[in-house]
Amino acid sequence: MISTFLKHELKAFWRSKNTGKNLAVRIVMAVLILYLLLNVVVIGFFMDNVLKSVFPHDGLILSFCGIILIYFLGELFSRLQLQELPTLRVQPYLQLPIKRNTIVGYLALTALFSVFNLWPIVLFFPFIFKVVLHDAGLVTALAFIVSILGITVLNNYLALYIKRKANLNGWIFLIVAAIMILIGLSDFKWHIISIRNISYLFFGHLMSYPVLALLPVLLGAGMYFLNFTYLKKNLYLEELSTKKDKFKSSTEYPILSYFGSTGDLVANEIKLVLRNKRPRSALVMSLFFLLYGLFFYPNPALRSNEGFKIFVGMFMTGIFIINYGQFMFSWQASHFDGLMVSKVNFADFLRGKYLLFTTASTVAFLLTIPYVYFGWRVLLIHFIMYLWNLGFTVNVVLYFANRNAKRIDLSKGASFNWEGVGATQLMLSFLLLLPPLIIYIPFKYFKYEDVGLALIGAIGLTGILTRSFWVKFLEADFYKRKFTILEGFRNK
Amino acid sequence: MIQVKELKKVYSGVIVVNIPQLEIRKGESVGLVGNNGAGKTTLFRMMLDLIRPEAGEVLSNNEPVAGHEHWKNYTASYLDEGFLIDYLTPEEYFYFIGGLHQQTRAHVDDFLAGYGDFFNGEILKRGKYIRDLSKGNQTKVGIASCMLQNPELLMLDEPFANIDPTTQFRLKNIIKDANRKGVTTLVSSHDLNHVTDVCDRILLMEKGKIIKDIATNSSTLAELEAYFAIGNSIEPPASAELNIDPEENH
Repeated sequence: MISTFLKHELKAFWRSKNTGKNLAVRIVMAVLILYLLLNVVVIGFFMDNVLKSVFPHDGLILSFCGIILIYFLGELFSRLQLQELPTLRVQPYLQLPIKRNTIVGYLALTALFSVFNLWPIVLFFPFIFKVVLHDAGLVTALAFIVSILGITVLNNYLALYIKRKANLNGWIFLIVAAIMILIGLSDFKWHIISIRNISYLFFGHLMSYPVLALLPVLLGAGMYFLNFTYLKKNLYLEELSTKKDKFKSSTEYPILSYFGSTGDLVANEIKLVLRNKRPRSALVMSLFFLLYGLFFYPNPALRSNEGFKIFVGMFMTGIFIINYGQFMFSWQASHFDGLMVSKVNFADFLRGKYLLFTTASTVAFLLTIPYVYFGWRVLLIHFIMYLWNLGFTVNVVLYFANRNAKRIDLSKGASFNWEGVGATQLMLSFLLLLPPLIIYIPFKYFKYEDVGLALIGAIGLTGILTRSFWVKFLEADFYKRKFTILEGFRNK
Repeated sequence: MIQVKELKKVYSGVIVVNIPQLEIRKGESVGLVGNNGAGKTTLFRMMLDLIRPEAGEVLSNNEPVAGHEHWKNYTASYLDEGFLIDYLTPEEYFYFIGGLHQQTRAHVDDFLAGYGDFFNGEILKRGKYIRDLSKGNQTKVGIASCMLQNPELLMLDEPFANIDPTTQFRLKNIIKDANRKGVTTLVSSHDLNHVTDVCDRILLMEKGKIIKDIATNSSTLAELEAYFAIGNSIEPPASAELNIDPEENH
């Protein structure tokens, strides 16, 4: 049965409307991952040398024990942002004589096929074979291997569980991220707790009592089981998801009525974002990215590096454009036919998008003003990137929207609708980050940073001032592809 | 009102619509019948510029539909739920559509007051988004929003399919009324009784071609029933299997 599911998923991949784009993204991803993996292999192989130079006063195995949990904490954090959820459109299988456990088991098991699960192996196992096996004997080495595998599985399913929950309710992600940042801060900044000591406590005892290795395994199994039952419960939820008793009231946004029919379209789209789970969590995620500055700005090493400020400023003021915009116009796929035959001018439709993005970016920019604490130039760069986003990023995003014919069904339950919530999405965002850096870096090299910044700002401003041209351009471009897009959107 | 010239649509080598010539005059009420895969929906979609024909064109008021938007001002259509914005409440949707046609909210409210019977108390002020309505009630929203636009041309694809018998009768009256006021109507249906009752002219489609174009009279229903009964009683031709309309075959 599992091989049938795999075959179906492969077919879904190859026969999807966007195969070309997906494939390109995957290839780039694969290259990146291989490169990273290679780096990790090298680090893993020379782990003993690395540890010796970082902790010259401690014993080798002792310091090794100390870093394991720190690594896993960091891994959990990156998993939360990057790991993709395994997808299977379960609905067509539910009424067939296939056991629920098989379907759920498939979803839960395929989650193990993630590159993330390779990293701890290539990172820690060489050291275990080189040093632990040699110094502490076979049993201890085995205990280390088993417990590291156990924690990997635990981390894997914990991240997926949080991600699934966060997909339904974006706040969960914010809360978890806040907790993890607090844990990190209370160790490295406030020195209240020490993850190193906890890590040492466990792995140190592991050397004397190898049986302890069963603990992470049990935790991992428990987490798997939690995922399994959660998914199984939600197989039912899917059918019940439309049944909600809450009274849905009609809403108006009077300010938008000043913009005529463009304003009406924006009002509709705001309702789209707020009333559907997936775009809503895209919005909440955007709020999360507003914290990105806190990761980078306090770091004194990066403070002088303005390239980072460009990166962070672009992300913070433009994340909604990137996050929400890259699935344009798929959000509206289910009623695109209706839009096309109703008296909506496509130029107005595009102007609505600009208005929506301008509003979102302006709000984001205003929210980042407190970062002025890190210097006036931070604010200046944020403003420049705000202009850039509204003058350049928006146009790029809408240009690619014309090339996207993949249907997103908002009305279908969000609990099994996870496409585009992993690394692929982030990677596309990073591609959008490149142009301003490409402009800036040569100037920085010749020490004319200000000219570089001014140029970015000028391009952004030009883009904003020539908007009517872009509207016309995008409109003409859309009509060339209209039928392909419509067909793709009708393709359920 | 509408002229179809040499219109042709091919899906993977199979011709699904092939209409050399068709003219629908202003004020006519036209019914479109035919078995699944006959090409009705595809024809509708080409008339609304939602599908690009392989050849030929559709003119509306002597202007090609493709590449022009003027026809949107006087054409109202409802083909399927894909025409509704499903995360809006019905009221919000009606206000939106009304707003596109420069109607005030008061005007829309006025209009909706006249549809109290048609909605049967299940649409307005129920605190539901359109996506939470049943398919029949969604159809009602779609039809009412068409009428709200005061169209000169009304196009409905199988409007009788999901609605209850009472509403079917009311809908027939709505279409007849509209036609009496000069609205050109184009309605497809599998219900031969309804379609012969509502329409003055029946187009019968088979494998993308219009094989009969008849003015409705007392014998039309019998004639159509004879056609479809024969279609059922003899072995269907082998190609009928292949001739599935990809638009209908979701």
